[in-house]
Amino acid sequence: MNFFNVIRWIVWKDLVTELRSRETISSMVFFALIVILIFSFSFSMDQQAAREVIAGIIWVAFAFTGIIGLGKSFSAELQNDCIEALQMVPESKGAIYLGKVAANFLFIFVVEILLFPMFVIFFNLDVVEEISLLLLIFFLATLGLSAVGTLFSALTVQIRAREVMLPILLLPMVVPVMIAAVEATKGALNGDPLPMYSQWLELLAIFDVIFTVVSFWMFEFVMDN
Amino acid sequence: MTAIACQAISKSYGHYEVLHDISLTIQEGECFSLFGPNGAGKTTLLKILATLQRPSEGRYEILGLDGLKEKETIRANMMFLAHGAYLYDDLNAKENLAFALALRGQTPTDRDMKLALDRVGIGAFAEMKIRNYSAGMKKRLALAKAMLAKPKVLLLDEPFTALDTAGTEIMREYIRERLSENGAVLMSTHDHDKARPITSRAGMLNQGMLKEISLEALKSDELF
Repeated sequence: MNFFNVIRWIVWKDLVTELRSRETISSMVFFALIVILIFSFSFSMDQQAAREVIAGIIWVAFAFTGIIGLGKSFSAELQNDCIEALQMVPESKGAIYLGKVAANFLFIFVVEILLFPMFVIFFNLDVVEEISLLLLIFFLATLGLSAVGTLFSALTVQIRAREVMLPILLLPMVVPVMIAAVEATKGALNGDPLPMYSQWLELLAIFDVIFTVVSFWMFEFVMDN
Repeated sequence: MTAIACQAISKSYGHYEVLHDISLTIQEGECFSLFGPNGAGKTTLLKILATLQRPSEGRYEILGLDGLKEKETIRANMMFLAHGAYLYDDLNAKENLAFALALRGQTPTDRDMKLALDRVGIGAFAEMKIRNYSAGMKKRLALAKAMLAKPKVLLLDEPFTALDTAGTEIMREYIRERLSENGAVLMSTHDHDKARPITSRAGMLNQGMLKEISLEALKSDELF
């Protein structure tokens, strides 16, 4: 039972500390807003042209914003050596991993939900009919990014150049997620029938399952070494 | 019963050997004080016994459990109070206690936490964020955590640092309490005067080698 308690308490702690400090979410939102502004001024497009490139722009912004959040996930544990306390938890480290994945997922997903209306406004998108599908795509892709990113955040936290190493190691690993997310988002924004891009949603779901399971098992090794 | 047993533990970082062939046995009810100059390897030894680091050579047992194979059980029965105090700046004292103990599978009541905080003298600051605590208050809070956890084996890294006279006495009182309940304590310290009243046995760690010293030696400043 303590396994689930550990997950719950890790999520609670990350949410409470973030709500009080607002360090992670504010820096993520600020960064993403800059990306949106730069892209919106770089391209002056009609709605059709925007639909062709906007999926890529959305996921460039979400991926790099997510990396900011993931980087802070474990670097926050360096404060007062708290990471050592996590290492000494008398429970499978998988519980800590799942708690961190859940917290990271929530941060990134919330930021995505906050930012998406900005894309709609700046790029003049009409997304009312596809909103539920878009939310599903965001959910699956963010879960994949959080699952792998949490592992790499823990892996790089003790490295001196961790801010550089995290994106270098993480981005190649999540290329399948980004490609699938871009293709699925493009399909949804174009109003294509679901069967035309459902294979990308399946790929996202498969990636999420495989990488969550693999990262769960590897996390024990990462924390103990 | 033997609480801590190290056999020929060595630890190297690259070519630099921090600990060399350390063998040490501590019985339940004993407090072993570890002295030595900066860089002698005291914290490294404590971190190995706290299951945070692996020895390069040798093996150790805590409460008869293999330190390399039965870490989870050891961690449930042991507590390490380190320099960092393992506290989150944006949580208050009660939240820090509740979080740390929940990860150990313990659920202290609000009353338990209040009693522990009162006992270490920071009950009035229970709702204050740790960010605003002094180093001594953080040390007292870490002590309150140990009081609620009631570990069988207690590892302390410089327990008297940052504590005032009253805080030092509270720390010593808690250590005596653990010893009277058959707990075992291993602490590293530079302060032989503060450690002497609670020390059962003592050792000097120098250049990675441990030599046991008499309690009489703690009374003089020659060794230190």
